Amino acid sequence: MVFAGTSSGGGTSPGGRRPASTLVWVIPPAAMAFCAGLAVAVVPSGARAMVAWCGVAATLAVALAAAEAMRRGRLITTLRTRLAAQEAGFRQRLADQEAEIRRLTREVLPATVARLRRGAMVHEAMKDVDYAPNLDPDFDAAHEQLLRWVLDTVRTEEDLRDAAQRAFVNIARRVQAIVHQQAQDMREMEDKHGADPDVFEDLLHLDHGNALIGRLADSIAVLGGSRPGRQWQKEVPLFNVCRGAMSRILEYERVDLHSVADVAIVGPSVEPLIHALAELLDNATRYSPPKTRVHLTAIEVQSGVAIEIEDAGVGLSEEARRRTDAVLLQAATGFDLNDLGETPRLGLAVVGRLAVRYRFQISLRPSAYGGVRAVLVVPQDIICPTPAPGGAIARAAKLPPPKPIKRATPLPSPTRPGPVAQGRPGPGFRQNGAGLPQRRRRMPMTAPAPFRVDSAPPAASATPRDPARQPVQPGIWLDAFTKGLNGEPIPAADAATDAPDPRKSPSTPDSSSTPNTSDKDE
Amino acid sequence: MSEPGKPWDEGGPERLYTVSRGRAPQEPRHRPVELVSLIVARAEPEPGMAPEAAAVLRMCQFPLSVAEISAYLVLPVSTVTVLLAGLLRDDRVEVRAPVPAAVLPDPELLQAVMHGLQNL
Repeated sequence: MVFAGTSSGGGTSPGGRRPASTLVWVIPPAAMAFCAGLAVAVVPSGARAMVAWCGVAATLAVALAAAEAMRRGRLITTLRTRLAAQEAGFRQRLADQEAEIRRLTREVLPATVARLRRGAMVHEAMKDVDYAPNLDPDFDAAHEQLLRWVLDTVRTEEDLRDAAQRAFVNIARRVQAIVHQQAQDMREMEDKHGADPDVFEDLLHLDHGNALIGRLADSIAVLGGSRPGRQWQKEVPLFNVCRGAMSRILEYERVDLHSVADVAIVGPSVEPLIHALAELLDNATRYSPPKTRVHLTAIEVQSGVAIEIEDAGVGLSEEARRRTDAVLLQAATGFDLNDLGETPRLGLAVVGRLAVRYRFQISLRPSAYGGVRAVLVVPQDIICPTPAPGGAIARAAKLPPPKPIKRATPLPSPTRPGPVAQGRPGPGFRQNGAGLPQRRRRMPMTAPAPFRVDSAPPAASATPRDPARQPVQPGIWLDAFTKGLNGEPIPAADAATDAPDPRKSPSTPDSSSTPNTSDKDE
Repeated sequence: MSEPGKPWDEGGPERLYTVSRGRAPQEPRHRPVELVSLIVARAEPEPGMAPEAAAVLRMCQFPLSVAEISAYLVLPVSTVTVLLAGLLRDDRVEVRAPVPAAVLPDPELLQAVMHGLQNL
């Protein structure tokens, strides 16, 4: 019992101060010695020697035990302190490593992967990575290995994706080339068969289908990170751009092209704009009832030209609007071909891409008609003044000059040459060929007379124009006249004398036909 | 990424069916204009019009046949026909029929005249 008490006392002592503990360990032997002395004094004298011996032995034993306990106590104390120090060290290291891993995931990895995506090689990307200085080399090595492995994987994936995109773009390019060739051929055929309405209509149908395929190919090219379709060398008037966009959607008949600002788009930006507009128009026609119209207008604003596409279809709920915005935004940050399957509104992704690349501002808002109003703002720097206000057709060099023609008032002129040209000369000439010289003379004479009268005043006003106008001005009859005219400036004097009688002789059919046409005119 | 082939020839980005706005060339009623019908403008071109229509109005101050209009505009006849049908509907142009063949004098009469002349 005493031992137990002492040992337990000794057990608690190391927690306290060291001198105290040594003192504490003196108590048990002292107490034993005191008890032994007491026992020696109390027991009868005969047993005193034995008791004394026993007492001494017991005291010695207790003292030994106390000494041993004290030694172990000290040992434990030192071990504990060492352990505590060690534990603190480990904790510190753990914290450091955790911090390092956190840094790896939050800073190092994104930075290096970004560098990799920008085209750096793996070792280049890893060169600038700094490791924590106070960590052991093993950890750093593992760290580096991990980084290298991740970067290698990313690199491989990137290469794979690049290759896939390139393949996509490559195929899209080939399709585009074929479609363009088809379109050209089709246009030639349309010109060739333009007079046959049935064939022409079928050709237009095919042409339309061809344009739709072309748009699809353009979309793939854009999603593959390339530019859409063909390059335009010259600027194209905005009106034609809008109509070009219309020609690439399925239901172009439903699009109403309203006022369009009189500007042109510079060549390199034409195709992207057409494509973006086509996608927006497609979106508008697709998500609105088939009977409703889609309105397309373009007005000049401070920052460029705002092209509005307004439909009367299903409106944009707040949630849908957020989703479309998200699609546009996602397209802005980068687009994964794997997401293709998940975005049913593929067009928006394409538009988003184009918008980022060519700095179009796009917003989709609820329209006053209940549908969607899409506004695409074309930046100022890709706009230029139109060389030909009113479109390419208006500037075509082949058009007859409008002004000089205007002078000849429309009403009288057709009555005069009309009957002669259309009614008479055909059979007249043929009969001449059959061998009637007089008739042949008569024809030219009636012909030049009105012609000269008509052209004389303009010739006086603007002589240099006269020869230029002659090939332009003539209608069919004048063409015939000039042919007939070839050899006969001489009879002009005779004509005055001869003219009356031949005119009089056929005057009955002539006069009968002249009033006819004039009646029709009015 | 390389652009395929040589620089494309310039043309318009729009296709013909948008020029004629999708209306089939032959409308249910009889075709009002023939290839040789003469077209005369009755109105001045307005700012909001399609360029083709405006061009037709400008050039038809003086009567032109449909075939000529088609040649000047470099558009197929069918497309021009549709354009003209639209303009006709709005009374911006009028059509003057070519002299119909029925007005031509009878060949027999001509022959008689010829013989008469020869007998002179």
